[in-house]
Amino acid sequence: MVKVKVFATLIKLTGRKILEVPAGSVEELLEKLYSTYPGFEEELERGFMILINGRNIEHLQGLQTPLREEDIVSIFPPAGGG
Amino acid sequence: MYGNWGKFLRVNLSTGEVKVEEYDEEFARKWLGSRGLAIYLLLKEMDPMVDPLSPENKLVITPGPLSGTSAPTGGRYNVVTKSPATGFITMANSGGYFGAELKFAGYDAIVVEGKAEKPVYIYIKDENVEIRDASHLWGKLVSETEEAIRKEIGSKKLRIALIGPAGENLVKFAAVMNDGHRAAGRGGVGAVMGSKNLKAIAVEGSKTVSIADKQKFMLTIREKINKLRNDPVAGGGLPNYGTAILVNIINENGLYPTRNFQTGVFEHAYEQSGEAMAAKYLIRNQPCYACPIGCGRVNKLPTIGVTEGPEYESTWALGANLGINDLASIIEANHRCDELGLDTISTGGTLGTAMELYEKGLITDEELGEAPPFRWGNTEVLHYYIDKLARREGFGDKLAEGGYRLAESYGHPEYSMSVKKLELPAYDPRGAEGHGLGYATNNRGGCHIKNYMISPEILGYPYKMDPHDVSDDKVKMLIIFQDLSALIDAAGLCLFTTFGLGADDYRDMLNAALGWDYSTEDYLKIGERIWNAERIFNLKAGLDPAKDDTLPKRFLEEPMPEGPNKGYVVRLKEMLPRYYALRGWTEDGKVPKEKAKELGIEEFI
Ligand code: SF4
Repeated sequence: MVKVKVFATLIKLTGRKILEVPAGSVEELLEKLYSTYPGFEEELERGFMILINGRNIEHLQGLQTPLREEDIVSIFPPAGGG
Repeated sequence: MYGNWGKFLRVNLSTGEVKVEEYDEEFARKWLGSRGLAIYLLLKEMDPMVDPLSPENKLVITPGPLSGTSAPTGGRYNVVTKSPATGFITMANSGGYFGAELKFAGYDAIVVEGKAEKPVYIYIKDENVEIRDASHLWGKLVSETEEAIRKEIGSKKLRIALIGPAGENLVKFAAVMNDGHRAAGRGGVGAVMGSKNLKAIAVEGSKTVSIADKQKFMLTIREKINKLRNDPVAGGGLPNYGTAILVNIINENGLYPTRNFQTGVFEHAYEQSGEAMAAKYLIRNQPCYACPIGCGRVNKLPTIGVTEGPEYESTWALGANLGINDLASIIEANHRCDELGLDTISTGGTLGTAMELYEKGLITDEELGEAPPFRWGNTEVLHYYIDKLARREGFGDKLAEGGYRLAESYGHPEYSMSVKKLELPAYDPRGAEGHGLGYATNNRGGCHIKNYMISPEILGYPYKMDPHDVSDDKVKMLIIFQDLSALIDAAGLCLFTTFGLGADDYRDMLNAALGWDYSTEDYLKIGERIWNAERIFNLKAGLDPAKDDTLPKRFLEEPMPEGPNKGYVVRLKEMLPRYYALRGWTEDGKVPKEKAKELGIEEFI
């Protein structure tokens, strides 16, 4: 099981801030989330930030990044501020 | 002239003289306006070595050519002066409605000189400018002062920029406030206003800013507003959650400064996030003038009722930075800072330094007596010391000098997380090294907003860069961000438009409004000119690059203790020489004659 933390509008879709999902890669994880929570995919259509243990998957292997049991994945819809 | 009026007010408070001065189109083509106009005037007219709190320092309050137009976020203004916090230039920027109103009155700037004998305020109604007595307003809070002036003048249209007790008491990080909760916060501009015995500037105007090609401008504006509305950040994240949406993002990325930057992960971040605020206290958004984004928060608390803010920075400064997790206390403290006229970042930064000095046994219970101990997480600190420091009472007098001077007085300046004595904002540079280079080289010291490398390094705008990459590409990106920010400030727009607009979009709006045919490069050149002119001001004010273009030792020597950035320090030494070189500066960080010539500012060398 991978621990998944979701934020902002995603919390409303999942009804929870922390989920546990079995997945071997980021891609697999997203597919599971998309099929479980209606609207999740649309929320991420225009971009997202996905971190594995705080590291952005852009600097890992992107959606192909493998996931291990103890990993914590954080998922954000697009956001900014200052 | 379009956009700008080509006119500014000069008010000498020592003599009571009020003059309108003019400049021509050629000048505007070189400096654009606002931050550009201000640095030119200061370099031209003032010795950069002046004491910032003396009558010789000048205070330039200035909207830009797009302020007061219908360009999205066109309500911004800058307060530019020599900072009493840093001893260098500062350009504090604020939104709200004041900047636009000053344009409606027919002025591109007010240059305040000298010092009034007793407290005064300036009342401007188009051509009519009066210096009025403000003795009865001295000591009043921001909301009380606004209300009293409104009553006195009896006009609903009035927009007011003013100081609270903090500015009167020359607190080194006092802000100039406007429209209640909007602040030109950084660098102690409120103290400069206070040193001149100037309590407020109240403005109402009846003019319309003239636009070169109205139809083209309207079409351009419509296109840019749509871009912002359709952008997932400018049209989604920011209006929904405010800037505090960053709390969780920055914390999860491991650079949310906690307990005076001792670590980059705060265990209670969620409780003070934009998400938590929206769920608990938010009643609506509050946009500034002509802003389609509306990042401002209006919150309601049982204790203080309806208030505005806090923004991300304030939430952090008064929260995680002090180990405080209670959002209600943070909102109350933010409200108090606004009422007293304090920069929230430096207030929190200074209190954080005090807490670390206490932790290390340098500030003792004995010294504090009955006053609350500076213990991490102690909300009493917020409730007690913010008032004390604004009034310079008891230990508050030491705090009022800012974190650097406080830590220095205990022989440990290294516990002040500041650059050029300006307290740092809410990003630990060990988790974004380009942002760290930005802190070290920012003309006003420890500031994030004028070189927001968090955009590429963390948020992925305009594209994602590795936060630990220190290549030339990173340095070049920082330089573009610095020049572009100077341009946006000079135009009179909000820097948050960069989440949705690119450099070409600013070019389009400016060309349509001003009737110019400048390229994007021409505009960025103006930004570069401003940045270099400010650097020249700082060098003349005594900036020593070897000593001043740096970061607190913590970021250079103490590896981040935990989280995704564990083990990292900022490799500033590797980046700084390349920054100087890519800026076209000398190896020792000076602006050489050739560079100044290229930018047309050799007269200031
Ligand atoms: S984005 Fe926020 S700060 Fe900027 S102009 Fe709009 S409301 Fe004001």
